[in-house]
Amino acid sequence: MDLGLIAQYLANGIMLGTMYALVAVGFTLFFGVLDVIKFSHGDVLMLGTFAGFTVWLGLQAAGIVNPWLQLVIILIASMAFTAAIGAMIAKWLVLPLKKAPPLNTLLLTLMLGTAIREAVRLFYPNGSNPKAFPALLPSASIDLGGFLLRADSVILVAAGLSLIAGLNLVLNRTRLGLAIRAVAQDEETARTMGINYMLVVLATFAIGSGVAAFAGIMNGLYYSEINFGMGLLLGLIGFSAAIVGGLGNLYGAILGGFIFAGLQVVGAALLPFASAYKDVFAFAVVIAIMAWKPTGLIPERTSDRV
Amino acid sequence: MSERLLEFQAVTKRFGGVTALDSFSMHLDKGEILGLIGPNGSGKTTSFNLLTGIYPKTGGSIHFDDRDISSMSAREVYETGIVRTFQRSRLCLPLSIYDNIMVGDTSRLPKGLWSNLVRRRAFRRQYEETFKVARDLVATFSGNLADRMLDPVGALPMIERRRIEICRALISGPRLLLLDEPSAGMTHDETNQLMSDILDVRARGEGLSIIIVEHEMGVIERITDRCVVLSYGKKIAEGTYAEIACDKEVQNAYLGVD
Amino acid sequence: MSDIAIDAPARPKGLLPGAATILAVSVYGWALLTAEEDWQVIGLLVLAAAVGLVGKLAGLGPKVLASWSSNEATMNGGAVLGLLAVIFALSTQHFPLLMLTTTLLYFIASLGLNIQFGYTGMVNFAGAAFFGAGAYTAAVLGGYAWIPPLLTILAGGVVAMVLSLLLVYPIVRTTGHYAAVVTIAFGVLFKTFLEVNEILGGPQGLMVESMKLPGWDFNNGPVLFGVEMSFYLNYALFATALVALIFCLVRRLERSWLGLHMDAVRLDETAAACFGISVHRTKILAFLSGNFILGIAGALYGMMISFIAPASFTFSDSLLMVSIVLLGGMGSPWGGALAAAIVVLLPEKLQVLQEYRFLLFSVLVMLVLLFRPDGLLPRQIRNYFPGREGGK
Repeated sequence: MDLGLIAQYLANGIMLGTMYALVAVGFTLFFGVLDVIKFSHGDVLMLGTFAGFTVWLGLQAAGIVNPWLQLVIILIASMAFTAAIGAMIAKWLVLPLKKAPPLNTLLLTLMLGTAIREAVRLFYPNGSNPKAFPALLPSASIDLGGFLLRADSVILVAAGLSLIAGLNLVLNRTRLGLAIRAVAQDEETARTMGINYMLVVLATFAIGSGVAAFAGIMNGLYYSEINFGMGLLLGLIGFSAAIVGGLGNLYGAILGGFIFAGLQVVGAALLPFASAYKDVFAFAVVIAIMAWKPTGLIPERTSDRV
Repeated sequence: MSERLLEFQAVTKRFGGVTALDSFSMHLDKGEILGLIGPNGSGKTTSFNLLTGIYPKTGGSIHFDDRDISSMSAREVYETGIVRTFQRSRLCLPLSIYDNIMVGDTSRLPKGLWSNLVRRRAFRRQYEETFKVARDLVATFSGNLADRMLDPVGALPMIERRRIEICRALISGPRLLLLDEPSAGMTHDETNQLMSDILDVRARGEGLSIIIVEHEMGVIERITDRCVVLSYGKKIAEGTYAEIACDKEVQNAYLGVD
Repeated sequence: MSDIAIDAPARPKGLLPGAATILAVSVYGWALLTAEEDWQVIGLLVLAAAVGLVGKLAGLGPKVLASWSSNEATMNGGAVLGLLAVIFALSTQHFPLLMLTTTLLYFIASLGLNIQFGYTGMVNFAGAAFFGAGAYTAAVLGGYAWIPPLLTILAGGVVAMVLSLLLVYPIVRTTGHYAAVVTIAFGVLFKTFLEVNEILGGPQGLMVESMKLPGWDFNNGPVLFGVEMSFYLNYALFATALVALIFCLVRRLERSWLGLHMDAVRLDETAAACFGISVHRTKILAFLSGNFILGIAGALYGMMISFIAPASFTFSDSLLMVSIVLLGGMGSPWGGALAAAIVVLLPEKLQVLQEYRFLLFSVLVMLVLLFRPDGLLPRQIRNYFPGREGGK
């Protein structure tokens, strides 16, 4: 295989890995503070992306056409919107079920995901059809010996990685981050130390969801298309990535995201005869990973006190 | 004259960097009641969890009745005749009293699809026999409970739940009973009553041995033949209650003096 | 000496409350199935809600329950008779019979899922995939005329079970959320596979041969008393027999030591293992038997609608099946019957809802989880031989 093609696959993998890591981070954060999996995460992401798309339509109509300005506005709008949705879900749907069996939370968020997906399909104008997402980033590229390094890809990856780095800083260097880590460690103790539990949970859900919206916009820019079903797939991949890396661990989520992207790229490279089977391959790998490491590569701390 | 029933040899358990149990050796004779005591976090419950196969051991070996049970699963340990109760009651709250007790009697119940689904006449016989046995056992602890065998456990107060948990452990006719803080959540009188009931059941059968983890020293003093004291995962003393009660090291461990 | 239901203060042991319920439900079912105008359907729904409310206020529920469990065999027989009466009352009408039979098949599917979700506490979000596996098996085997169709139905269950074997290893090793991912991934994988696989018809799907018993082609309307009946009558009758059989088996499973093991595994795996219950064996049994039932229902479904495509076996369809279990009440077989009727009939009868059904039922299930987690007809405490005082 020639070097240019390999570089192409590599660039592809890095892009996907960043995107998956951004989704996986959310799962890990939610699991950290509440020990729950919010299965609607992917669909919240999709909702955020559609919100961003709607804002872009508004901007076009309002005559604001500078792509950089548009990009900044839709990013802020969609991340803020999604953060609010995430916090509301936590407050009204996830926290009330805290005492119920974990299966109920799982089912509730799964159903919520379906409800969001269906609501967008049914109520967004022409929602059942894919939407062409605008190319807001410069499309220039440099030829590196048969491999076209595209400026938009570089910008996307750089932005995504800095967001993750920023999130890491927030978690490790701020009072909020300290509070989140305290709640994740031991809820009871955190409460007695005077931490506002509710606030921390809501903030965590807001942050995780906001980051997912970023991944959604990134997804839209990369594929130039968004659709109501994109969240199911991204959510499933993000969750698998979080698990592969080990839940409750930020680095695990990042690692998992890149491992999963690597697997997909390898799958696509090795199955050139039938790219249609790429997804079948990817999900078969998910199942195999679950069989091999039922609680992830870096296992979560066990909490079953006997 | 006394025969060994259980033997811990240098049993060690580490969780990550924490050593919960450090080269712990002890033994239990047939028919003996042993108190396993020590401050919180000294490794008492961990010993039970290792013994019953819930956690894998880091090192050492456990022998039960001359068999090495070190690497057995929880299910295999049960089949050798070791049963337990849990510190925090672990009953199936939505199920009836009868069902909860029958969970403890699986070794005697047929497990095949055919015998469970098709041979209903035989199943009915098993049901009627076991119902009688279970009710008689419950009746030793409380006549009131024995009349409510098909009521859900979730509706009962703590003391009744403890009784049912102990019945669940005793129904299979075990050889070794592990009691993990049976007094937790109960009053002094209730605890004493419970202990008397356990001793009654024991007196009826042949040589049930008991290991009891307990903080209430009155209980330990009353029922144990011998005590083993743990502190920070290590055995620091062994002997009758009277002996260990005046042991300096034991007093220090409880009072937190080095 | 002992109550059958948890909340049964009054204990009339008579047949009347149960028999009246069967009669009322049968008449209501017939009326709903034949209602044509939207206002009739809405009127009937309002009526059902009103009767439900009045019944609750008047404390009829415990009476019906007590009457039912004191005379269970008679009541179950009565329910079958009621169902048969409705089927014959509809015998010439294609569409109502098709809906009724679809409800019965979804009811069967919910019984399979109930073993997993309700008894054992295992998640399965690939229900539509196993259902679909049965349907596709029927489609493929239907091409071989020498294979008896009755065997094909059985084969549908077996194929679903063989597919589950692929998942058994990850399923028993994982719990909760992790197991959920395994089944979701499998569901998505299955549908994608069907879509890209040309042999199985790709996105267009396959034709399915009809059900045949010796001398009895299900696609010919039988002639009774000189009147030609709808050919769906065959399927409705066959489905009734299947429902009765599987309901009976699942009930026996619940009221057996295996059912007790399943409950123990659901409620506390660690404690169950400490009392000698094999958690793995119990889970494998639940997973395989549940999916076998799904496969059987799917095979008959495929034969009845005679044309299947991947689009009918999506993740959303799996969630719809899970909705039935949750709406009815986890572990409650009769709850599954009621919920299957709601989930299948409501969108069909009120065509405006058809497009919105996934949304409608996902929201409905969320409400149930938040405000009535035991479902519409909550599971009753286990009584191995109802109608008898325990142990006597």
